[in-house]
Amino acid sequence: MEYDLENPLLGFQEDQSDTIPYLFASELDHMPCLNYVSSFETRDLDVSVRREGISLILQMQFSCNFDPSIQYLAVNYFDRFISRQEVPHEKPWMLRLLGISCVSLAAKMKRIDFSLTDFQREEGFIYDTQTIQRMELLILGALKWRMRSITPFSFVNFFLSFFKLKDPPLRQALKARATEIIFKAQREIKLLEFKPSIIAASALLSASHELFPLQFPCFRTAISASTYVNKEKLLDCSNVMHTIVMDSYESVLDTVSCSDTPVNVLDLHCSSSQSEKVTTTTSSLGTVRSERDIKRRKISDFCCNEKSFQLSQIQQC
Amino acid sequence: MEKYEKLEKVGEGTYGKVYKAQDKTTGQLVALKKTRLEMDEEGVPPTALREVSLLQMLSQTIYVVRLLCVEHVDKNGKPLLYLVFEYLDTDLKKFIDTYRRGPNPRPLPPSVIQSFMFQLCKGVAHCHSHGVLHRDLKPQNLLVDKEKGILKIADLGLGRAFTVPLKSYTHEIVTLWYRAPEVLLGSTHYSTGVDMWSVGCIFAEMARRQALFPGDSELQQLLHIFRLLGTPNDEQWPGVSSLRDWHEYPQWKPQNLGRAVPSLEPDGVDLLSKMLQYDPANRISAKAALDHPYFDSLDKSQF
Repeated sequence: MEYDLENPLLGFQEDQSDTIPYLFASELDHMPCLNYVSSFETRDLDVSVRREGISLILQMQFSCNFDPSIQYLAVNYFDRFISRQEVPHEKPWMLRLLGISCVSLAAKMKRIDFSLTDFQREEGFIYDTQTIQRMELLILGALKWRMRSITPFSFVNFFLSFFKLKDPPLRQALKARATEIIFKAQREIKLLEFKPSIIAASALLSASHELFPLQFPCFRTAISASTYVNKEKLLDCSNVMHTIVMDSYESVLDTVSCSDTPVNVLDLHCSSSQSEKVTTTTSSLGTVRSERDIKRRKISDFCCNEKSFQLSQIQQC
Repeated sequence: MEKYEKLEKVGEGTYGKVYKAQDKTTGQLVALKKTRLEMDEEGVPPTALREVSLLQMLSQTIYVVRLLCVEHVDKNGKPLLYLVFEYLDTDLKKFIDTYRRGPNPRPLPPSVIQSFMFQLCKGVAHCHSHGVLHRDLKPQNLLVDKEKGILKIADLGLGRAFTVPLKSYTHEIVTLWYRAPEVLLGSTHYSTGVDMWSVGCIFAEMARRQALFPGDSELQQLLHIFRLLGTPNDEQWPGVSSLRDWHEYPQWKPQNLGRAVPSLEPDGVDLLSKMLQYDPANRISAKAALDHPYFDSLDKSQF
């Protein structure tokens, strides 16, 4: 019974619809404690501890050549653990031990063969199995053995189904970009307070904004109309995520410009509103340059203009 | 584990001892399941890790016995794991027995059978939608709250990572009565159908107050099934004669299933026949069973 980030419930069922309500109902159980983010602000918890811990996990993943999903899972365990249990700042060895144990647990959940010594190749000294085992049990206890973490990846396919374009390569592109954003977003402390489903929705919206700006308003309307989504949280989260996305924005834009994606796919749109029609006309004349302009403009709508999130617009779609 | 006071040993589960215990502070009754945690070179064993977290995930529904917490204890350097479950006072086997034996033998009320079957199908559908097979459904593994009329699936055993257990931890023979024909015939690619077969056997047993196919060896088990349902052939079950343990068997014709469960109404017999289809691909799913007309007269709002 393998653990899969995208489908923590895994199995032989092809129809995931039965498990969606469960995922939404249980996602809170797989998050850090509610006061985690605020405890960084009040300095009860040192930001550097988290940064240090995550960088240790990254190092281990790198030296073992693990799949990034293991690192994602390990950081999820790490956050949940330190939000519940204090790690003394003056004991750096403990942080290292915690990092190793989180990676070890994540690798086991994903059925990856490894040896504990692999993790510690770069280190000056090696923890014995007993010590790591004790730490593993401590983590398991604090996390109540809920190791099949429900993460943003668990919701990507669900929200992707709201996207109008059914063309598989386009969906694949959207999903791939959203995945990148989710990985990136995990390091941002401000995003830790949002539920995994909201992170997934925001990441997909960001991705659609970059890659398929014409479909974006409709996609956003569809997602925020879902009964599972708190619209205010979605807006808050999207705004935070936007700053993260901007960091890598230019590079993505370059990739898009060089891609073979025909410009006229942008003609596909689903809205009947006037403004949408105008946009469509512009883009069908489209050069890459005008595409880029639209993106610039939309991005600013996205993050600054709260009015763009009004109900009236939702009803249009 | 000082939190709990062990009251009595209530059973020897497939994978370890089970105690009835009480939470000293809250008074809550719990079932403690003790398992040894065989540590290996790489710390906590991956199978235990995956199985317990799976159990943790599945016990989120009211149709599965709730895993309250997991406690780890070091006993003389040997790590033990206590799984703390909610406690229910009886199981379906004992429940059926009270109607069969005792001062006042009588059939189970049809409404109870219907309600228990509905809850059982709900629980099985939940497991299957989470990608998990139970593989050892039997009346002993279904816990019952007599007062509230509640039935829950238990013993989603540790050890699905291994094959279907033949002998238990304590060398008690694991019952074959609820085992699907494809498992008995050595199929290795079985799926959700194995649980639905068991559900069918349990359904019939509630109506009859005795087991439908009480075989005492794998061969006897198959013969019991064939005598009632007819010896299967490749026409009704493509590929059956190429299964690993297939042999030439006496040829029986199918009997009237209704006669084996005389007290069951026609809709019930129809549902039962859909659960006892030979070809696993034709067997009704738990989810589809919930929509079967047999449950039409049930007040589903209570669930």
